Amino acid sequence: MLSIWRISWRNMTQNKKRLFFTLLAMVLGTAFVTSMLIADKTTDDVFDYYEQMYVANADYWVLSDDYTFPEDLISPILNEPIVSNSLLALDKQAFFELADDRSLSQRAVRITGVSDQSSPLLTLPVIEGKLDNEGLIVPEPVAELLGKGVGDTIQFTGMGEAKISAIVEYTQLLASPSNWERAESTSFRVLAPLSLLREWTGKQDKISYMRFQVEGDGTELFNTFQQNFQGTSTYIEPVVADDLQSNDIGGLYTFFYLIAGLSIFISGFIVFNMIYTSVIERKKEFAIMKSLGYTQSSVSKLVLIEMTLLAFIGTAIGVPLGIWLGDLFMKALLGVFEFDMVYTMNWEMPSLIGVLIGLLFPIVFSLFPIYYAGKTSILLTMKMADRTTSTSKRHYVKAFFGVVLLLLGTIDHPVSYAAIIAGAILLFPYLLKGLSALMKPVFVTFYKYPGTLASRNVTRQLNRNGNTAAILAIGIAVILLLSAVVESAPRGIDNDIRSTYGGNMRVKSEAPWLAEDMEKILSYSGVTNVEPLAEATPITWETIEGQMRQFSVLAVRENGPSLYTHGQEKDIMNRLRQNPSVLLGERAFAEWGGTIGESIVLNTPNGKKSFEVIGVGKTSHYAGYVAFMDALVMNDVFGWANSFDLLLSVDKEPYDTIRDQLWTDFSSHLSKVETVEDEIQSTTSAISGMNELLFVMLVLVVGLASIGTANTLLMNTLERVSELGTMRALGFTKRQVRNMILAEGLLIGLTGILGGLATGILLIYLTSKSQLMDGFLSFQLPYSDMLLAIVAGVFLSLVAAWISSKSASKMDIQTLLKEG
Amino acid sequence: MIEVSNLQKEFLNGQESTQVLKGVNLNIEEGEFIAIMGPSGSGKSTLLQLLGGLDVPTKGEIEIDHTPIHAMKEKERTVFRRKNMGFVFQNYQLLPNLTVEENIAFPLHADGKLTKENIEWIHELTRSVGLEGLNDKRVNLLSGGQQQRVAIARALANHPTVLLADEPTGNLDRARAEEILVLLSTFHRKNKQTIVMVTHDIFAAGFADRIILFKDGIIDQVISREDSDYAKYLANFMA
Ligand SMILES: Nc1ncnc2c1ncn2[C@@H]1O[C@H](COP(=O)(O)OP(=O)(O)O)[C@@H](O)[C@H]1O
Ligand SMILES: [Mg+2]
Repeated sequence: MLSIWRISWRNMTQNKKRLFFTLLAMVLGTAFVTSMLIADKTTDDVFDYYEQMYVANADYWVLSDDYTFPEDLISPILNEPIVSNSLLALDKQAFFELADDRSLSQRAVRITGVSDQSSPLLTLPVIEGKLDNEGLIVPEPVAELLGKGVGDTIQFTGMGEAKISAIVEYTQLLASPSNWERAESTSFRVLAPLSLLREWTGKQDKISYMRFQVEGDGTELFNTFQQNFQGTSTYIEPVVADDLQSNDIGGLYTFFYLIAGLSIFISGFIVFNMIYTSVIERKKEFAIMKSLGYTQSSVSKLVLIEMTLLAFIGTAIGVPLGIWLGDLFMKALLGVFEFDMVYTMNWEMPSLIGVLIGLLFPIVFSLFPIYYAGKTSILLTMKMADRTTSTSKRHYVKAFFGVVLLLLGTIDHPVSYAAIIAGAILLFPYLLKGLSALMKPVFVTFYKYPGTLASRNVTRQLNRNGNTAAILAIGIAVILLLSAVVESAPRGIDNDIRSTYGGNMRVKSEAPWLAEDMEKILSYSGVTNVEPLAEATPITWETIEGQMRQFSVLAVRENGPSLYTHGQEKDIMNRLRQNPSVLLGERAFAEWGGTIGESIVLNTPNGKKSFEVIGVGKTSHYAGYVAFMDALVMNDVFGWANSFDLLLSVDKEPYDTIRDQLWTDFSSHLSKVETVEDEIQSTTSAISGMNELLFVMLVLVVGLASIGTANTLLMNTLERVSELGTMRALGFTKRQVRNMILAEGLLIGLTGILGGLATGILLIYLTSKSQLMDGFLSFQLPYSDMLLAIVAGVFLSLVAAWISSKSASKMDIQTLLKEG
Repeated sequence: MIEVSNLQKEFLNGQESTQVLKGVNLNIEEGEFIAIMGPSGSGKSTLLQLLGGLDVPTKGEIEIDHTPIHAMKEKERTVFRRKNMGFVFQNYQLLPNLTVEENIAFPLHADGKLTKENIEWIHELTRSVGLEGLNDKRVNLLSGGQQQRVAIARALANHPTVLLADEPTGNLDRARAEEILVLLSTFHRKNKQTIVMVTHDIFAAGFADRIILFKDGIIDQVISREDSDYAKYLANFMA
């Protein structure tokens, strides 16, 4: 047994460069997958962590459709014996008093007064200072922006001042902008002791909400108070860990897994190519082994052991590399978000899966060569006819299938993507052949006779070279499609937001808007329309599978601002007004898991209520994690009366003057002024970050494919060393030999690039025309990525060719001649 | 024509070094047909490769037409080779995916000089080695004898000063070998082509003007056609 491993080792190391490239491909494939798994799991953890921090130990909370409510309303709950902990909170909008010249909107800060800063219902990741229930608690970016530390005093305009007692890390409760630009449309958040805030505001017995924890099962208590609170301004909701309203990261990972899958596929192909060639080279050896009594399976086993050895080495390097890459990737990814999030790598399970994949995929991709090695016929091989000549009939069949698959690919069905890629692979040898004929004049001009030879040589191992080009092409095509999606996404988002925002500006207040407020705003220059918007939040509900979720319910009115788009908008509006029903945003609908016509149960301020889901609308509000309800139904059935939001239509864009005017006129209760541009900006900024990530991915995938090119060229070169020796003997200079191989690499590279561009464009075109994708993508080419693909492709192919040409021209002539 | 003095060649293989040529002195006249014989491993091929500029000697001098090739740089040697040298190998060393004509024309292509007269010359060569009509055939479809004729034609394409042949008949049966030897001696006689041929076969050596017996890296004995004991020697050998 020991000796078979040693033989395998010797076989493997016989061709060091080929071994190196194959290993490199395996390492990178494994590393990519591992890093994606790690990034996915770590991101999950990060969001879990913040969700848990948001929930802390609270089970329920009491809120109001008024901004605040009297504290005595909740005393019956506090008297319940099973309530073990409670936390009272009051929110108040205020302004930092600053020495520098900042606008009111930039200075806006929401102070939350809490009854106990060290309550178990509050998780505060303290960086510095103490939770002493005397001073302010501020998140780190705010402290940095204000240039204050623990012990320093912060002043609030017209209210008072207090010392900072603690600085904390990012938490959802205190999510604040980290620069003045973003502060324009988002307010800062800080925590203060409840008593202090009450002192400042004079709201002596008021609170905004109360959270509490119960011992044992609180269902009965919940049901009781849901009943009791009916008809009051307060209502009770369970505290639910659901942050889908604020993040939409799931879609992102589909992307990255696609890329990881792609790299495994490319690596697998490189492995296949290498092991297949090696098996063919050793056919004679296998035949001799068999004639000496080795069985078919023991020959196969020998190759399998080689592969296993390789897989072990590849995994041993690839997985640690993947862990490191995953860390790098997480940094890049979380850097895209506005807040400084901390993360701990979740690497154990992903690494284990990475190990499994790293060990298995090389073996899976080499199953055919392994089988083929065992099948080696003794007699046929010892006579050894030339193997490269495959019949032209088989060629036609291949070409025919390639064309058929491409045509099938135009059918609007998800599988058609696979058909196009498979078709392209089948047709690549012909593309290579055609292109080498086409490029011959150019090559002859540049390289003279070596150019002529190169264009002929690539057609010798037509399948191998064609496949190599195809792999590069598929890498390029898939990334181009992804880039097209990412590039057209901002345009789509821009469109979506503008068409469903309901105006150009959204103004939020702590007090319900009055008719005279609206009149006043309408009189501002530039404001053409003012519409109230009622948003009930948080509203909890159950998915079909019984999972608790929470989102916002927005009120819609006939002739009101349009907050969603739907095929039969008029009809939907009418039906929403009839029986209690809702229209769900796309993500809410998907998360809910039911079908149109079924009912969704919501914990409304009026208690548990059933609403028929009558449709799915496209909306930019909370990226589709939202429900729409008719305003009257919302008032009567649902039990939400007030509108704290206004939607303004502005005809020119003096946003800043209007913003300033609003803050001046309503400074006592205004809490947020956001423009449609702010919303577009903050949504698309994450996506443009993605685009940069894709740029890196593109280069990496092209690089990985180029390892395949290097490997193929190396095999091509090694197979004809004696020929190269002859050429040198007959007067070819080293440079001529090198040029010939460079030209071959360039041809394969160009075929891959052009074919990749063509396939990519076809994929983008079909996606844009697809009914299935329903305008998901407009037909627009990602030019910068295409350019990058060309540059990276040509450059890396040349590097790949240069490596093998170098090793060919380095050998001396006698060795080359002898090898024949 | 060819002047070789004190030619030495040492191969280094890791720590080990093998002295293959141990001081060879040799003069070859223009138009001479030389056969080199000797036991396997005695350095015949090495000598031939040095003469052809495929490798450089460790010590000693080689002048071809008064040009010292031992001192040339790699690139110069290559250019010199393609202008002045013709090679025929035991295993033909044809370029398998080129046609007969392309193989023969290769040394001219390498030089980037395929003129009209040259093409005419290639056709003439093809005819003279008896392969007319096969110009556009891929060489790997030819028989061994035919392949070696292509190799000879190719070796002559650049009008070489010297034709070097390393066991050109080693892979052929007697009849095929004789055809090749007749061909070589025809070129030798008609065109006054200088030929240096390594061979194991005394029958082949019999076509040469001089036979050099090689042993252990030096010239052991030289027998000329003019020598009185040439016939006797051959006869001895044949027996
Ligand atoms: N490139 C090389 N490196 C090391 N040793 C070599 C090399 N080429 C030839 N030799 C050695 O030189 C000796 C002579 O070889 P060669 O000239 O081919 O002999 P012959 O052609 O007379 O059979 C042999 O022992 C051979 O092993
Ligand atoms: Mg020899």
